[in-house]
Amino acid sequence: MSSSLTETAPEIAGRQTGGEPALTYQPHVDVCDTGSSLTIRADIPGASAESIDVAFEDGVLSVHAKVPARELPGRVLRQEYGIGDYRRSFRLGDGFDGAGITAEYRRGVLSIDVPRLAAVRPRKVEVRVAPA
Amino acid sequence: MQTFRAGFALPLEELRDEMDRLWTSLTAAPPLHGWGTERRTGVFPAVNMRDGGDAIVIEAELPGLDVGNIDINVTADEVVLKGTRPEAAGQPGNGSAAEASVTWLRRERGAGAFERRLSLPVAVDASRVEAQLVDGVLTVTCPKAPESQPHKVTVRTAS
Repeated sequence: MSSSLTETAPEIAGRQTGGEPALTYQPHVDVCDTGSSLTIRADIPGASAESIDVAFEDGVLSVHAKVPARELPGRVLRQEYGIGDYRRSFRLGDGFDGAGITAEYRRGVLSIDVPRLAAVRPRKVEVRVAPA
Repeated sequence: MQTFRAGFALPLEELRDEMDRLWTSLTAAPPLHGWGTERRTGVFPAVNMRDGGDAIVIEAELPGLDVGNIDINVTADEVVLKGTRPEAAGQPGNGSAAEASVTWLRRERGAGAFERRLSLPVAVDASRVEAQLVDGVLTVTCPKAPESQPHKVTVRTAS
């Protein structure tokens, strides 16, 4: 089993459509290969399940989350982070089952499970004792 | 000669131990504030703060945390956010049996304990502070104490 993951530049596709907000961020992710699937977790605080698009096309998994503006009222005392959409995409390579992808959003964290096609999953071969 | 050889090997052994430690720490979740040496190192969570006239509003991004993972302590002039971000439940890497067979391709989300002290510019009424956590965004609203509320001064005409 070989694991490869390449970051792709999603901005190129997104820029054409226009209407993008001024701020777009790359979420922090954990990506874990369990053999039968890839598990991806992304920190996307402030979004909602309805506002997150997860797409898988030509071996590229892309995530785009729209985050509604939440302007706090009043005078700025501290500004340590900005609020905007999240975008990130990865080239996963071949052997993944696009139809079997599941995604879940909970407490600001998006979890995606990308299963491998049954044909390419690692198989454990049981060694039998030969009859004497 | 024996002494020389032992003395010669010692730094190498230390280096090997150091590499072992480094290797172990690289396969664990990163610290919450990241590995970097940037200005923000050691600061988690990042916060935005506003003076909304009758209240100081603090917002922090805390994805993955449940209300049970956060402690908020407020005094008249300080807010302390304290808590722990757990490694995601059921995720390999937190000691589960499946750990040996998984490969980490990215590990950027931090885990662990944090504490952040924020001093407030004016006195607030600690008993009326409200906090809510929605989709990983924490909002703490601290109403100002009566003495720090803006007062309207009426100007009398001198007779």
